[in-house]
Amino acid sequence: MTKIKRHRGWGHLVTVPVAWAIVAVNVLMIVWIVLSSLKSTREMALHPWSWPKHFIWSNYRTAWVSAQFGAGVGNSLLLIIGSGLACILLAAPAAYALSRFRMRSSGLHTALFVLGLGIPAQTMFIPLYVAFDRIGLVDSVWGLMLIYTGAGIPYALFLLTAFFRSLPVELEEAAALDGAGPGYTFWRIMLPLARSGLITIFVLQAIGHWGETFFALVMLHTKTTLSLSLYNFTQTMQYTGSRYSVLFAGLVILIAPLLVLYIVLGRRIIEGISAGYSK
Amino acid sequence: MASAIVVGPTTEGGGTRPVGPGRRHSPFHRARRRMFVPFVYPALAVYMLIMVAPTLFTLWLSLNRWAGAGPMQWAGLHNYTAMFRDPVFRTSFVNTFWIVVGVGAAVFAIAFGMTILLQDMAGRRFARAVVFFPSLVPGIAISIMWGYLFNPDGLVNTLLADVGVHSHPEWLAQDNMFKVILIGMTWLSSGVYTVIFMAAVDRIPPELYQAAEIEGASAFQRFRYVTFPLMKDVVSVCSVLWCVGALKTFEFLLVFSAESGALPPTNIWNFAMYSYAEAFNPDGTADYGIAAACGVIVLLLTGLLMFLARRVLRRDADTY
Repeated sequence: MTKIKRHRGWGHLVTVPVAWAIVAVNVLMIVWIVLSSLKSTREMALHPWSWPKHFIWSNYRTAWVSAQFGAGVGNSLLLIIGSGLACILLAAPAAYALSRFRMRSSGLHTALFVLGLGIPAQTMFIPLYVAFDRIGLVDSVWGLMLIYTGAGIPYALFLLTAFFRSLPVELEEAAALDGAGPGYTFWRIMLPLARSGLITIFVLQAIGHWGETFFALVMLHTKTTLSLSLYNFTQTMQYTGSRYSVLFAGLVILIAPLLVLYIVLGRRIIEGISAGYSK
Repeated sequence: MASAIVVGPTTEGGGTRPVGPGRRHSPFHRARRRMFVPFVYPALAVYMLIMVAPTLFTLWLSLNRWAGAGPMQWAGLHNYTAMFRDPVFRTSFVNTFWIVVGVGAAVFAIAFGMTILLQDMAGRRFARAVVFFPSLVPGIAISIMWGYLFNPDGLVNTLLADVGVHSHPEWLAQDNMFKVILIGMTWLSSGVYTVIFMAAVDRIPPELYQAAEIEGASAFQRFRYVTFPLMKDVVSVCSVLWCVGALKTFEFLLVFSAESGALPPTNIWNFAMYSYAEAFNPDGTADYGIAAACGVIVLLLTGLLMFLARRVLRRDADTY
């Protein structure tokens, strides 16, 4: 990265502290959530900034078992892995064909897919609910997985089309000269080359669906996801009294995997999201 | 190896070589033509089934009266007129407007501000990573935390008491709740746009800044005449995506419900909440027609805002 050398005016004396203050608030927020999850609810309210007197690890056990966060984590994991894989398995060949086959109808098909980026959940949920109700997919994790898969296709296709377009055409030609058909070329040559793009998309979809609430709330009744467990727990607190420390343990269960993923794959996530915007 | 090839001029056209009549009928192309359907149509089928067909059905449903079971009753535009007469819908309309335009303006202003602040600060990579993180966290988690912060004995009041301020408003009272929510949403969303704007700024050739420097441009002038014009495209795409996302805001409002099992008070509803409530409100009858009509309004607004955002920013870019 080329650094721009520039005179630093007095403005920097103001702006740099402001920037770091904003950064500090964000970091403190995370620290505060983690510390709060290890206190009692009373201590949380009375001494919000102090180090916990005793680490109350049982908050996590309560959250995991009796507040159903454990079941929520299981279902949410199943949902993001299943829908992420299915979405990529469907979108990758389509994106490859649309970006590389040079068919007359490619443009039209791509446009049809991209249109889906603008379809809000509010215009989909009633027919989906009614139809799924009739075929027994309401209150089923598989039904919800199908919705996540379908709703993820436009975005995955949009990013993957750009990705395949950037791969060298010579490889396909060489493969064709060696007698490989389009299917073989795709699965054995192009798909492995696109691996980093596929991982990025899988991670982005996983992050997006990890805490998805709207469709989960519409489609599931007795089953739960992580976000539904959180929501239900806030609702029961109105009967059982505040148990914010348990709630915050739930927040940590929700946020911690994201944080770990972010620390490991941060650059990829940031670049993947900015790429989607600057195309 | 592959990356070395990508850096050639082939990247530009995406490998699209001139398609002559000979190429189009080569065995290579014929084999691909045969594979087009098996490659594209599975994805297309699932996409049509999950997204397009329900949307078309919602359009039809919005013109009918239906409670989910029994026969549908043709209603023409009645659902729409009834909806616009409903004061709750009008509140939802105003609130949606505040979220899309009000929060949007604040988010973009903050993102621009942060972009300038971080432009050549030491440690900007770290700062960028930290600022970005909240936008990865599900809205429902952020809103739960936000609700706790502004609780009567939450952190905000504790902090205010620490600095000696004891007369603070009741943050979560009827009148203030929505404002508190708007601020929370601004915080939640600013990070993404900061990061995207920063990426756009990084692509601007440094020579332009050096030239501006030699001409004696101030920091503000550098932003106004170099940075901003060159970011127009990114800002345009961002504003479209912001509108699409902001119109669907749901989780952030859902958590602020007053009593168990019920939805939040109607004065903080937006379109998404209204539509959900018309279909699934625990203490009301289902009216799928009106819920669908509200969904159609969201769809139309999404389309309109996408069109306008692109249009306005494109025209500006031309006059520059």
